[in-house]
Amino acid sequence: MPTVRLRDASEYPEAAQKLFDLSKAWFNYDFAQPPAMSRVMAWDGGFGGPHGRAMKRAMAPGEFTRAEKEMVAAVVSGVNACNY
Amino acid sequence: MQDDAFWYEAAQVVGITNALNVVADTLGEAGAGFTAVDPATAAGETRALFEEIATFYESAQVPLPFRLLARDPGYAADVWAAARHTFADHRLSRRLKEALAFAVSVTSRSRFGTGFHLAEMRRLGVGERGVMEVLGVTQMFSSYTKIADTLQLEPDMGDIAPVDHSPAPGGAAAPAGRRARGDGQVKGTSRAKISKGDRRVASRTSRMAVSPSPAPVSRRAAKKPV
Repeated sequence: MPTVRLRDASEYPEAAQKLFDLSKAWFNYDFAQPPAMSRVMAWDGGFGGPHGRAMKRAMAPGEFTRAEKEMVAAVVSGVNACNY
Repeated sequence: MQDDAFWYEAAQVVGITNALNVVADTLGEAGAGFTAVDPATAAGETRALFEEIATFYESAQVPLPFRLLARDPGYAADVWAAARHTFADHRLSRRLKEALAFAVSVTSRSRFGTGFHLAEMRRLGVGERGVMEVLGVTQMFSSYTKIADTLQLEPDMGDIAPVDHSPAPGGAAAPAGRRARGDGQVKGTSRAKISKGDRRVASRTSRMAVSPSPAPVSRRAAKKPV
């Protein structure tokens, strides 16, 4: 169980709703609620903003495709034994 | 990358990379009184093995893990066969597999693996930008995973991945009923394979929102009474 209460999207301010819309677009998936990590990152824009931009920059197609980078991300998550 | 075959290959890369790294990092060139076999003095099957390995890597050098394992040539040959199969071009390219191995090595803090797979990436044509891309993804997801673990977030996107109903290589297709049970096994795993147009998502943790610049968030809710 999470150590914090994850707020529903409706409990976030308007600016965060834009973030959640971007989340849908990023995953091309219409979530009933934004993913838990999206809601965590939206909690503090001073951290979530630049962190998210760095992630988006890192995941953008370049020498490696987005799909290849997703596989790298999966591998890193696996090695870190992250259950999420 | 919806097919399971891609992910089986990626898992092989993770496994064998870690296997080679742990030996090289812990024993070193001559650590713990366990000396690597010198290719210059190798003979017979060990020499043949070393030549095959050097050819695969297009190098005069034989990577340290295999020189350490070569104290038992039979065992070294089997490990090498698995490694060679893993890193050869199959569904995934050798170039991508080296990138995955580099990410694994950085994540697991392997000095040997980081240097070796970085060199292999470069040898296979990955430029400075490509190296930075892999490093960036590795670093970002090393961050996301620890945030998720600290807050003990629970998986919440396992259902969005399509299921690969194809049989194991050479096998027969499963009956429809069994396929449905297989769907249940896929849901909730740590990798998802989303493919909607160009949208492909690999891991739960990778399914993060893009956070361009969210405005200040709402006031913290009162704690529940304990």
